[in-house]
Amino acid sequence: MRAPLITLIVSYTIAILGFTLAPGVDAQGNPWQMSLFEAFYVVSYTATTIGFGEIPYAFSQAQRLWMTFSIYFTVIAWFYAIGKIIALMQDPGLRHAITVARFARAVRRLGEPFYIVCGYGGTGSLLVEALDRLGIRAVTVDISQERINELELQDYQAPVPGLCMDARLPDSMIQAGILHPLCGGVAALTDDDQANLAIAVTVKLLKPELKVLCRAENQETATNMASFGTDHIINPYELFGEHLAMEVHALGTYLLHEWLTGVPGSALPAPACPPIGKWIVCGFGRFGKAVVSNLQREHMQTVVVEADPQLTHCDDCIIGSGAQARTLIEAGIEDAIGIVAGTDNDVNNLSIVMTALELKPDLFVVIRKNKRHNAPLFQKFSADITMQPSDIIAHECLAHLVTPVLAQFLALARSQSNAWANALIGRLVETVGENVPETWRVTLSGELAPAVINLLGHGKTVLLETLTSDPANRETRLPLVPLLLLRGGETILLPEPSQSLEKDDRILFCGKNSAKSAQSLLLTNRKVLTYVRDGSETPDGVVWRWIASRARK
Amino acid sequence: MNLEKVVFGFFILLAMTLNFGFFIGDMADPEFHHPYELFAAIVVNLVATVLKFGDRTQVGAIHLSTSLVADLQLITAAVVWVAYSGLGTDIPAGIMVSIVSLSGGAFLANVTSVVLLIIETIMLRR
Repeated sequence: MRAPLITLIVSYTIAILGFTLAPGVDAQGNPWQMSLFEAFYVVSYTATTIGFGEIPYAFSQAQRLWMTFSIYFTVIAWFYAIGKIIALMQDPGLRHAITVARFARAVRRLGEPFYIVCGYGGTGSLLVEALDRLGIRAVTVDISQERINELELQDYQAPVPGLCMDARLPDSMIQAGILHPLCGGVAALTDDDQANLAIAVTVKLLKPELKVLCRAENQETATNMASFGTDHIINPYELFGEHLAMEVHALGTYLLHEWLTGVPGSALPAPACPPIGKWIVCGFGRFGKAVVSNLQREHMQTVVVEADPQLTHCDDCIIGSGAQARTLIEAGIEDAIGIVAGTDNDVNNLSIVMTALELKPDLFVVIRKNKRHNAPLFQKFSADITMQPSDIIAHECLAHLVTPVLAQFLALARSQSNAWANALIGRLVETVGENVPETWRVTLSGELAPAVINLLGHGKTVLLETLTSDPANRETRLPLVPLLLLRGGETILLPEPSQSLEKDDRILFCGKNSAKSAQSLLLTNRKVLTYVRDGSETPDGVVWRWIASRARK
Repeated sequence: MNLEKVVFGFFILLAMTLNFGFFIGDMADPEFHHPYELFAAIVVNLVATVLKFGDRTQVGAIHLSTSLVADLQLITAAVVWVAYSGLGTDIPAGIMVSIVSLSGGAFLANVTSVVLLIIETIMLRR
């Protein structure tokens, strides 16, 4: 940038000097020479090719000679300088540096807790959307510029800073804010296991206390991640297998799980109950293996159809693609009750199911969806269960990242009976409605719930019931359900309303968003809490309190 | 010997000396202060400013700021001069004084710049 600017200054100087020296005549024919300012004025409009003409008097021959020279001289210098400066502005390196700096600044200025989502693909975008709906800030990093462009086009409530860079590089993660004091966690959701591992390693070495969730499809990577202290490793296939097994033997528990980990506000999907009997599983990859082992655990008979038994280490299977009727008949489709199309090719999966349904229309269909852009095909097809890795991972992340207590609750819920789960669902539908509720944690600490702590400090008891009353009218209940109470190492599942609370209790609630905001008033405003607890308003101010105490006497 | 350093030092010193040349003399008397001197001071100052671009060190930042101050003062002086010279009469003594004192301020900035340059050079030797 120096050379063009100096060229410009030098060319102007020479042209201006020349004009002040060139002899001229004024309107009356007297000898006249331009002043420095007049020369600067003339050169300015000449160099920029504006050309006002000969000002203030018609030029003499000498002046015209100099003008001719100046035109070529200054105009060329001017264009050279402008061209250079514009080229500099468009320099990809410079622009990239500016984008990176802008991103880093946006991250640095985040004044509220946020999560970093690495990989803005199907899973990442779902997670970011869910976080945004919950009013939690997110920062994303993706290796493809296309996806970042997609992010910029998305309409989120709060801006989501995103940048195209390689999350495997520690520098990128630092720029994304892992060292930021308000960073709440990192979700490594790229489709590359190695990249996810690199992210986990980076975070765990640079800031060990930061929570890391990783997607891993290979067992080796998962083990490796675990050795670095990754907080939660999500294997979409195994997770789906578990879910499928849960759907078979405990539909209530499964529904509860789906409901509490869903994106708040979305409608609850209608449950599909897989029948018990003989299943045909097409494709014995990671997904197929997980499904088969989980179905076998539920004592179901399974027949595997696989095109390449050597590669997948499938000992007992029917060789074929599954898209051919012959193979399916060989697998015994007549007496099968369900089919799982679990290859890693969407078109194959669809054609397997088409063939199978032609042979036996009342089959229960489980289909695996691999690519997000094929979603319309699967939507049209409407299988009984569509397995979408991205959905599963996003839900799991949400549960672990945002409300870790929820994950604890779900683990406890799995050990309960199906009837228990059904009863709870009934209660939830009654209080919250048919849509996915919000879940949140309340910690009874001096900072987060000063009103409660204040009352407890005065030796008064506060019952759980109090925290579920409407601050506007204590007779009505807020639309929420307390799910879990944690006190030290003790856990109380579905605490009773008569449960008395103690300092440092952690309670998991689930309910409508309105209930959440109403409840925060109870936690922070002592007057409101006292009203809800005792049914009386506490008088404000010293004088009124004195009068009230007199009146009581 | 580094040619870049020679050019750099040359322009910074020249900016100061030209500035001083314009500044010196009876403040109210236009006879002591030639417009060409001011013009040359402005041009050399601008070149010096451009040469100081892009240095990311702390000293570099101060260097640039001294130059910017000198540019601002000198250009203000030139604008005042142009504004009053178009009236057809001689420039009032008061205006001439303020033009020259503006250039005096710029001179101080240029001195700072030269002092910085010397400090930098001495530190380099160590």
